[in-house]
Amino acid sequence: MATRTVTVGSASGLHARPAALFVAAAGAAPVRVTIRTGEKRAVPANSMLSVLSLGAKQGTEVVLEADGEGAEATLDSLADLLARDLDAEEPADV
Amino acid sequence: MAELTGDLLDRRAIRLAEEAADRDEAIRRCGEALVDTGAVHPGYVETMLARERSVSTYVGEGVAIPHGTLAGKDLVHRDALAVLRFPAGVDWGGQPVTVCVAIAARGDGHVELLASLAEILLDADRARALREATEPEDVLALLVPAPEDSNR
Repeated sequence: MATRTVTVGSASGLHARPAALFVAAAGAAPVRVTIRTGEKRAVPANSMLSVLSLGAKQGTEVVLEADGEGAEATLDSLADLLARDLDAEEPADV
Repeated sequence: MAELTGDLLDRRAIRLAEEAADRDEAIRRCGEALVDTGAVHPGYVETMLARERSVSTYVGEGVAIPHGTLAGKDLVHRDALAVLRFPAGVDWGGQPVTVCVAIAARGDGHVELLASLAEILLDADRARALREATEPEDVLALLVPAPEDSNR
């Protein structure tokens, strides 16, 4: 099981646009990825509603987990995405 | 009992018999509800349209959460929500939307409420109840986390 612990970097937290980008990236990954915050159960990272239900804000620590071939690389790129302030990148990135 | 959303969700911003020909019109209706209740400057509505063109705010279960861009934050007078229901549905980039939960936010005080909304939508029965709500009380009862003896 590959695991990454990341602090959410986006100013608006893990909802709205940052969540949409994260969910899309998780959905495109070759392995199934879950995400959880400390006190809640792990949920599918490719489900917008599940990710929103975490209520993760900027500064919240989240844990990503995945199994199988490509899991390490997948989590590296998803962790990088979460750590960035996607709100700040808005104009150039779409 | 509505303390938690009392500040965020004004009863006058719960409009359950709306009509819109398309997504842009639905977003404008959402914006009007936020403007009418004094939550945002009228200019905020354009940033809601811009956000939607950038990334869809459709979240699933017939629900979208329109909101402004980061640039629109200065046009927010106070954090607020509006709940608009379009009984006839609105085509949201290929997805049928019945309920819009519009968001005006400067800070992150609405994040818990969005999380509650997501939990509701992950529950098929409550998601349907929200889509079929015809009274503001129904919406408040669903969105406001009830204490211990949950009325779900």
